[in-house]
Amino acid sequence: MIDQQREPISTGQPAWKSPVALSLLLHGLIVVVALAGWSWTNPVDEPMPRSISARLVINEQPAQQPAPEPAPAPAPEPEPEPEPEEDLEELEAERQAAAERERQQQERERQAEQERQQAEEREARQREEQAAKQKEQEQARQKAEAEAKERARQKAEQEQKRQQAEEARKREAAAKAAEEERRKQEEAERQRQQEAEAEARRQAEAKREAEAKRREAERKLREQQLEALADSARESEEAARRQSEAEAAARARESQMLTDSQRYQGLIRERLKNGWYMPSSATSEMTATLRITLLPTGELSSVELVRGSGNTAFDNSALSAVRGVNRYPVPSERDTFEKYFRQFTIEFNPERLR
Amino acid sequence: MTMDIENMTDQTLTDQNRNGRYSRLQNRWLRVLAPLVFMLATTTPVSAELMIRITEGVDSAIPLAVVPFSKTGNIPNGDDVSDIVRDDLTMSGEFKPLSPERMLSLPSRSDDVYYRDWRMLGQRFLLVGELSQEGDRIKARYELFDVNGERRLLGETATASADGIRGLAHHISDKVFEAITGVRGAFSTKLAYVTLETGNGERIYKLQVSDVDGKRARVRMESDEPILSPTWSPDGQSLAYVSFETGRPAIYTHELSTGKRTRVASFPGLNSSPDWSPDGKSLLVTLSKDGNAEIYKLDLASSSLKRLTDHWSIDTEGSWSADGRGFLFTSDRSGGPQIYQKETEGAEPRRLTFGSRYNARPRFSPDSKHIYYVHQREGGFHIARMNLETGNETILTRTGLDESPSVAPNGRMLIYSTQQNGESVLTVMSAGGGSNYVLPAARGDVREPAWSPFLD
Repeated sequence: MIDQQREPISTGQPAWKSPVALSLLLHGLIVVVALAGWSWTNPVDEPMPRSISARLVINEQPAQQPAPEPAPAPAPEPEPEPEPEEDLEELEAERQAAAERERQQQERERQAEQERQQAEEREARQREEQAAKQKEQEQARQKAEAEAKERARQKAEQEQKRQQAEEARKREAAAKAAEEERRKQEEAERQRQQEAEAEARRQAEAKREAEAKRREAERKLREQQLEALADSARESEEAARRQSEAEAAARARESQMLTDSQRYQGLIRERLKNGWYMPSSATSEMTATLRITLLPTGELSSVELVRGSGNTAFDNSALSAVRGVNRYPVPSERDTFEKYFRQFTIEFNPERLR
Repeated sequence: MTMDIENMTDQTLTDQNRNGRYSRLQNRWLRVLAPLVFMLATTTPVSAELMIRITEGVDSAIPLAVVPFSKTGNIPNGDDVSDIVRDDLTMSGEFKPLSPERMLSLPSRSDDVYYRDWRMLGQRFLLVGELSQEGDRIKARYELFDVNGERRLLGETATASADGIRGLAHHISDKVFEAITGVRGAFSTKLAYVTLETGNGERIYKLQVSDVDGKRARVRMESDEPILSPTWSPDGQSLAYVSFETGRPAIYTHELSTGKRTRVASFPGLNSSPDWSPDGKSLLVTLSKDGNAEIYKLDLASSSLKRLTDHWSIDTEGSWSADGRGFLFTSDRSGGPQIYQKETEGAEPRRLTFGSRYNARPRFSPDSKHIYYVHQREGGFHIARMNLETGNETILTRTGLDESPSVAPNGRMLIYSTQQNGESVLTVMSAGGGSNYVLPAARGDVREPAWSPFLD
């Protein structure tokens, strides 16, 4: 975004105003002041500013930092003394004396030298100390100067910054205003657009909605049709199931009815057997077939000789047996009764005769 | 079921006709199809219809109520028609008459009959009647009702002389029996038998003839010598028997209405076991004139003999089949007495009995399907019956000294002699066995019964 880009500082500023030039100027000034009056300038024991900007200075002048302490020189090793020879003892002694003397001379010289060196060293040390002191003072001064300069610079900087900020603010404000205006315009535009878009959206929405509604309606219709189909399928399935169930039930009932029927057949057979007084003229060849009709109460409604035996007494005995049963044992279950016992046939035929 | 379908078909047809939507062509089709449909409707369901088959009946007598007959006019006291009828029917073994004390009402004509009453009492048949005087005769008007069928089976009148009450009663019994069983009643037939009276050191043999219930017995011949084996002529007018009246056995015929006796066989040796042929012209007799006992056919008109058996063993007790072509006899040719049959006079004899060591005195049933005979088993003598078709042998009596079975002409009853309290008595039983009716004994031993043929 444009807003976030830092804008370069305007090129319309004078060169001296650049921070580098300013810094060089200040350093130069500090060196002059230090050379001129380090002796009287007491280091101003100013409290170290806690400002973070002080570090910037130190970092920029690493040369001004105190040099590291030189490492002490190692003491020289004494040389190994040569072994004295026997025949040359005197000479040696002499030579030794000479050597001693020389050595003493040398020692003296060395001592003198040492003393000189020491004096020199002291002087140098004093000088060095002085220089160090001076340097320290200079440094302090420089430091103070630098700090003052820094403060000034900071102040200027701040001022500049403030001005810049002010300017920036103003610019910003203007930009802002412009931006605001633009934004407003944009906003208005956007709003318009949004409105238009909203309108379009609304229209689209409405259209979509209508479409959706139509589709929904169609879907519903289709669904209904499918459902109807499914329903009818389900219904036919249900109907088939019902039918098969009904068939199974019917079969079960049929067999139940048959069982019932057989039971009641047995009871009826027993009754008729106990009521059939077979005439003495009966033979095993005689068969009388009768059809009887019962009321649901088990009462005999009618009996009809379907096929006679040729022997009236035999036929009569069968008729009498049928009529002699006061109440036929019949199932109370109406369907079973209707199916088997409403009307049925009885055959009288003596299998074995006395 | 059948009816339902038929009804449905009818209804459909009428509907269609009413609607008048059917063209002539369709009508033609209909005419072709209708009988088919009808046929299917009538034939198919019938086989599906429930059918119950009854193969046996109750093994007891038919419950029947004989209401005491009402009497108008001068009816002699004593014998009561309804009592006689009740006894007759009881004797047959096929009926179980209701005791009059248990009757709820005593109707004498159909108007007074409430079927429900008799049904409640479990009666199958009801006989009511009234006796009235008609001149010097007695008239009986009687009605038989089928209680369950609620209908009248008989409604007749019969008359008899004042002393013919018993005959009138037997006549009614016959009619009732026939109406219910389909078999002619034999209550008006007669019995011939021999009684032995012993007393004062004398033995008196009497040939007697009585009603089937033993009543109205009349002595036809009396002798102090044994009388054996009476047999009826097929017309029921004569008897033939063995009499020792001359001191030795001879065979006589005896015309009952006139009392005329004829000695027909008096050969040397045995003259025994006469049996009148169905045509009435000859007798089967056992003679030993030729050495040992053999069976001969004696022609009554010519007195000629025809030898029918020829064996070194005893052959005796010949008895004609109903058609008179063949006969039964007893022979010990197998070691003991057994029953043989000759299909014709010239046929080879065929042994019929094997069940025990003693089987004798055979008689055919009137339909020749069964034979009745004396059968010895475990020391006792019983009356047995054999079905000639199947060979099945049935022991009919449980008493121990049963003799001389004789079958009623309707084949439904049987009379034989047995021992009771040390005396010989006659017992009537149903031909199928079961019930026994001991005839009220005259005095002394009663033996050698012979059931007469139908007499009218």
